[in-house]
Amino acid sequence: MLRFDRRLLLNFDLVLLGAVLVVALIGLANLYSSTHLYTNVGVPLYFKELTYYLMGAAIILLIISCDYRVLLTLNYPLYALMILLLLFALVFGKNISGAQRWINLGFFRLQPSEPAKLILVITLASYYYRKDTGRGFGLLDLAIPALLTGLPFILIAKQPDLGTGLLLVFVFASMTIFVKLQRTTLATILCGGLAFIPIGWKFFLKPYQRQRVETFLNPENDPLGTGYHIIQSKIAVGSGRIIGKGYLQGTQGQLDFLPERHTDFAFSVWAEEWGFLGSFTLIICYFFMILWGLNIAISARDKFGVLLAFGVVSLIFWQAFINLAMVMGLLPVVGVPLPLFSYGGSSLLTNLAGLGILMNIRMRRFMGTS
Amino acid sequence: MSPRHFARINKIDPDELKMLKKRIDIAMAVIIFSTALLVTRLWYLQIYRGDEYIKLAEKNRIRIQEVAAPRGNLLDRTGAPIITSRPSFNVVWNREDAPNPDAVLKDLASILKEDISVLLDKIRAAAENPRFMLIRLKEDIDWDTLTTIENKHLSLPGVRIEVVPSRDYLYGDFASHLIGYIGEISPTELKANRYNKYQSGDQIGKQGIEKIFDKYLMGEKGRTYLEVDVHGFQQRQMQTQEPFPGNDLHLTLDIELQRAAEEAMGDKAGAVVVMEVNTGNLLVMCSTPLLPLQEFVGGIKTPVWNKLLHDPLNPLLNKTIQGQYPPGSVFKIVTALAAISEGVINQDTTFFCSGFINFGNRRFGCWKKGGHGTVNFHRALVESCDVYFYSVGQRLGIDNIAKYANSLGLGKKTGIELEHDKGGLIPSTAWKRQRYKDKWHEGETLSVAIGQGYVSTTPLQLCRMTAAVVNGGTLYRPQMVHKITTPDGRILKSFSPVSEGKIIGSEHSLALIREALVGVVHEPGGTAKVVRLPDVFIGGKTGTAQVVRLAQNEGLGEQAIPYKYRDHAWFTSFAPADKPEIAVTVLVEHGQHGGSAAGPVAKAVYKRYFELKSGKKTAPEEATSPVVPEEKEE
Repeated sequence: MLRFDRRLLLNFDLVLLGAVLVVALIGLANLYSSTHLYTNVGVPLYFKELTYYLMGAAIILLIISCDYRVLLTLNYPLYALMILLLLFALVFGKNISGAQRWINLGFFRLQPSEPAKLILVITLASYYYRKDTGRGFGLLDLAIPALLTGLPFILIAKQPDLGTGLLLVFVFASMTIFVKLQRTTLATILCGGLAFIPIGWKFFLKPYQRQRVETFLNPENDPLGTGYHIIQSKIAVGSGRIIGKGYLQGTQGQLDFLPERHTDFAFSVWAEEWGFLGSFTLIICYFFMILWGLNIAISARDKFGVLLAFGVVSLIFWQAFINLAMVMGLLPVVGVPLPLFSYGGSSLLTNLAGLGILMNIRMRRFMGTS
Repeated sequence: MSPRHFARINKIDPDELKMLKKRIDIAMAVIIFSTALLVTRLWYLQIYRGDEYIKLAEKNRIRIQEVAAPRGNLLDRTGAPIITSRPSFNVVWNREDAPNPDAVLKDLASILKEDISVLLDKIRAAAENPRFMLIRLKEDIDWDTLTTIENKHLSLPGVRIEVVPSRDYLYGDFASHLIGYIGEISPTELKANRYNKYQSGDQIGKQGIEKIFDKYLMGEKGRTYLEVDVHGFQQRQMQTQEPFPGNDLHLTLDIELQRAAEEAMGDKAGAVVVMEVNTGNLLVMCSTPLLPLQEFVGGIKTPVWNKLLHDPLNPLLNKTIQGQYPPGSVFKIVTALAAISEGVINQDTTFFCSGFINFGNRRFGCWKKGGHGTVNFHRALVESCDVYFYSVGQRLGIDNIAKYANSLGLGKKTGIELEHDKGGLIPSTAWKRQRYKDKWHEGETLSVAIGQGYVSTTPLQLCRMTAAVVNGGTLYRPQMVHKITTPDGRILKSFSPVSEGKIIGSEHSLALIREALVGVVHEPGGTAKVVRLPDVFIGGKTGTAQVVRLAQNEGLGEQAIPYKYRDHAWFTSFAPADKPEIAVTVLVEHGQHGGSAAGPVAKAVYKRYFELKSGKKTAPEEATSPVVPEEKEE
């Protein structure tokens, strides 16, 4: 049923592909630096990450080969699959350092909360596309999308992985505000949200989560305990100064002072070795990629494309912003990876799939609609 | 998925597109703002505070291993070494290259002839230290143990030999009170300001010259900078800074004279001080019994300390500056100087000594029970007539005596650069009023006039006083270091004689006293005839200081009096008589007679001094003349 159209190839988004390749190459080089001293890991991690990239390329090819509007019919089956996987992870998942996040597939350890982010974007885009009246949503109209977000949020928060859970809430909020809310609704939600913070602090956060926030507010209180990550990361970033210590020369990273250096704190390794110049370049790459994503959204040929593209962009933006702010000590330590940069198959494939969707929308912006 | 299905999707209508564009613009503003925030933060961390963070990063990864510097040498006035530094060998344990610690430690324990538990305790005590830090298992091993370990080093992984400088005492306990000793810095010392460059485990001077001149002797520690990872594992050695040895201290001490004094004192407790009369330089500072330095290495043990503390011979006391004794008849020099200078008597004034004098309702006896008959000033000093000086003292009054005593440096610290320098005591009416809220009694002046009663002095004070009396009246500050040189021989600091002023008293009176003091040694009836040397004229004054006056000891034979109640023996002197060069003061605790107990010690020192001066080698010890019983002097 796939009709080959020459225009698809002509309109292929080389700009986005280029941006992705640049970040991917930087990320792989950085991963080599942060993991080349690891022993007892079997296959080197940068090699594994490279395989994930190849798998990601295949997924992108698959995604761009069909019209993104197919997702309008696939969204609920995908959503159901996501809920099942999250439940499965909670019940049978592999427990690693106190969190039930992983499903062992033998060749691959899937972290279902990662694809859940993208599936939620697809689900919400489909829902808002169908229901949008143009008048703006009232409080009651939000019941269903809130439920759609709330279910995976609870399942993920229960793992426990509050960072990813909150990310879902951020994406939901961004997309909902983008679709248009009635003014009163927006005001009500804002007030309700503010009122919820102290209640949530007291009843919903686990002690370790509360401690993380407290540590963030004052890391020097506990320099060897929970404050250690933030302090060491700030030292790594700050000690890079203008031009950095040089590739493979970062002392904080190479000598193990920086924890989680190939995953959540990958940017710190980069900032230490390449300094302000390298870090600024990388941030600008993300900035450009995200702005280009907005451009894709506004030039989409239909409203579903606009909503979907905006959702994917907000997903990438929030992940990047939260991660960067966290490693630079602007936000508490929550486990949110830097897209394309932090090591991890589930995260990488999810983000590449999202970027594939963006390319898909971009390619089809001139396709006929009637 | 049929195309028809997609066909239901329509292009966005232009109005809605406009609205969406507006919201995209808002989103873009949010993104630009967020990016600006992140870049600002990046700038703040990396550029604004980058230098602070690089320091923190360096502190994380760099560990400094310190290597002690060889301590500076102590040399005598001729440049001959007294104490030097030698390498000593410690066995250390490196946890990082010990794959099989149990077996290795077992072998090592048998080589060191130690119980393995001793070694394990030391390793356990250091469990908290970073892994790269070496643990000292045994210090200063002997040559045989060292070669055994070196030969077996392949089968002893983790065991290393550390070479550290250590003190080499070429003459054992020689001058040990003056020189002092070194030891590991204590936690209290670490807090003191003067030790702010030191760290726990460092060796510092604990007493005497080693302590006072520590900052010159210590040198500069070498440093090795190591890179370590978060677990403390050593990654690589970065740079090494060699230790720089400490400066050499050239003492004014003379090894030969000091040894002569120490030998002559033998097992007697007391002090010998020799000073150059025209500089204040100390050639001998001997306090016996010597401080047993070996006991202090590595911290003295409590039972040994208690034994030293309660030893009746007081080995812990540096008697040259800390021992305060009544000067006895030596003090007659002061009374004589005051009397002639003040004009209360002249050289021809005579008094009749019947063996005692009555004052108030008390009888003051002369040491010569039968009395000296009629004596003039010269005979009174030569024969040390007490009655003469009772009468002179009466004419002078206590405050006149105190004035001259103070001017001669008595009753106050000498200013020598040592700790615990004692001032002794010279009483006066003002002192009595302040101390006892009582008025001075005339009778007390009589005791003071012959150096008894409240008067107390240190051997160093009397030596300096003697020097001032014979050098024309200049009181010098006693010095024991004449220069400090760097390891490459450059002079860092030199010490020239420091005058503390002229003594009061007329030239005439000083000449009369000098003449009389020579008579003490060389004239018939003199109290120190035993000191005479064949070709040198010596002047001096004996003294016997009463420890207690007990009725029960009256009439007892000398050997029957318990040791601690026996009198102290003094002899202070100078030579050559015509052109004095050195002053020698000897105190023998409970030695009973100035002439017979203290005199021979001074004689031995003079003999050595003039032998060295004339370039003669040590002459074989001449047969000791039979001891001639002497008249007992008091």
